[in-house]
Amino acid sequence: MGTKTLRVDYLTRVEGEGALDLDVSDGKIIAARLNIFEPPRFFEALLRGRSYAEIPDIVARICGICPIAYQMSGVHAIEDAFGIKVGGQLRALRRLIYCGEWIESHALHVVMLHAPDFLGYPDAIRMAADHGDRVRDGLAIRKAGNALMRILGGREIHPVNVRVGGFYSLPSRTELAPIAESLERARDLAIGLVAWVAGFPFPDFERDYEFVGLRHPGEYPFNEGRVVSSRDIDISIAEYETEFEERQVAHSTALHSVVRRRGAYLVGPLARYALNFDRLPASVQALARTAGLDAVCRNPFRGIVVRAVEILYACEEALRLIAAYEPPDMASVPVQPRAAVGFGCTEAPRGICWHRYEFDEGGLIRTARIVPPTSQNQPSIEADLAEVAAGILDQPDEVIRDRCEQSIRNYDPCISCSTHFLRLSVRRT
Amino acid sequence: MTGEDTRKTAARRVLVVGIGNPERGDDGVGPAVAHRLAGRLPGDVGLIVQGGDMLSLLGDWAGVDALVCVDAAVSGASPGQIHRLDLAADELPRDLAPVSSHAFGLPEAIALARALGEAPRRIVIYAIEGRCFDGGAAMSPEAVAAAEAVAGHITAEIARLRQPERETAQA
Repeated sequence: MGTKTLRVDYLTRVEGEGALDLDVSDGKIIAARLNIFEPPRFFEALLRGRSYAEIPDIVARICGICPIAYQMSGVHAIEDAFGIKVGGQLRALRRLIYCGEWIESHALHVVMLHAPDFLGYPDAIRMAADHGDRVRDGLAIRKAGNALMRILGGREIHPVNVRVGGFYSLPSRTELAPIAESLERARDLAIGLVAWVAGFPFPDFERDYEFVGLRHPGEYPFNEGRVVSSRDIDISIAEYETEFEERQVAHSTALHSVVRRRGAYLVGPLARYALNFDRLPASVQALARTAGLDAVCRNPFRGIVVRAVEILYACEEALRLIAAYEPPDMASVPVQPRAAVGFGCTEAPRGICWHRYEFDEGGLIRTARIVPPTSQNQPSIEADLAEVAAGILDQPDEVIRDRCEQSIRNYDPCISCSTHFLRLSVRRT
Repeated sequence: MTGEDTRKTAARRVLVVGIGNPERGDDGVGPAVAHRLAGRLPGDVGLIVQGGDMLSLLGDWAGVDALVCVDAAVSGASPGQIHRLDLAADELPRDLAPVSSHAFGLPEAIALARALGEAPRRIVIYAIEGRCFDGGAAMSPEAVAAAEAVAGHITAEIARLRQPERETAQA
């Protein structure tokens, strides 16, 4: 026995540029590192000195897949700072546009990026030759989510219709009617999708995660709630920094977040679901159980099933919101800036996205801090990798590599944009 | 979701897609060609601009018989050079893969449509060599000139593509 390093130079089917290193010595994993070499983007710095009103449009550029998450966390933080309450139908429309983002983001990941792992295909294109109907269904579901983003956001990538206090323009009931039709179809397809992914072969693997997510008194969370964990955390959004901190690590341009008192934690569908199963409608709970899920799922590979369940929930919730929609009198509530600090946290498809802004009396940004879901999950991803690989070290490198990549894709990591080529080099000493 | 296959009986349906981001220099050449074609095409020819997400293209070209795509390219050729690829005869080479920062680019979207049996029968790609793709940059003079030329080529191309199937059958 000796030391060897397993390296995946370029991760595929993830959003962004990353690589994987596994150091193995005498049959034991001594290090698992998710190397993120996506260049830093300095959003927090470029926000400084700009007006609060620019935040929704600037932070939307952080991600092409989940711009709503950044816009929503941003506007909630601003409204928190300025003492503004957005309620009624404007609040409902914010949930509605978030449904659209979950649907398009989850459908892309479940069908196009993750399903090929479980069925043994190198990518969705090869999978489509044998599972064409499922790929068509996935694309149709995604299209329904995109349509929702487009009608409420003006366009599906980097939407432009979200503003502090509400929206720039509002949809009519007539405009939402065809969206509801496509969502009804998407809902039916999502039920089939849940059943399909529930039948995938899953590694027998569980970890005792500390789940972290939002918890709302009556809703499965999108925009509001307290930050809670499956252990003892139950704090307001403003208190986030008392329990969580970001640390720099040498091998990643993304910061690593930890619970100060303990370490790694998990955000995203698995955490959200475990913390809020009782907030799902009975019909969705029943389907989840039929799909083999308990109220808590600790197998990260089954995250694909939880994501499919969340697609179904988002379709149901969107239909409910559209049915109850009456256009409000004003597209947004008045905004009066003041010198203050504000906090926002919402549930991005990949987990909580936390923002903090400090404004001067004119509403110019003095400081900004944005904690995206993937940086919070990085320590958990690495812990998963170490444990997954430890169980299969006797297997060929190809098998280890594939399973490790699949483990990373369990998180739907959003580093920023996907890559196409993969190289594995093994160094034995 | 897909309609009846009417390819054999109805007029051939042609769709032109200008691909790219006008905010990024020569990446905007696809939309620029689409802009020049607006109002110059027969009424039954579709014309759309697609910014980034190529997967969405699959929905746009459902039921289309012939697809003409215009995009920017970087292959090392001189700026403004026009590459014409007829996918009936040519494979889309990797080094001509249109500039895209997204997971599913045009080659992937075409491959996926083919795997699903939903690709248009004819696909012609005009790839215009770009020079500068910086955010906020204007298009280079070479790309502007090429856009004008390609708009003319496509007008003629469409006349051929709309001919009944036998006359344009693949060799």
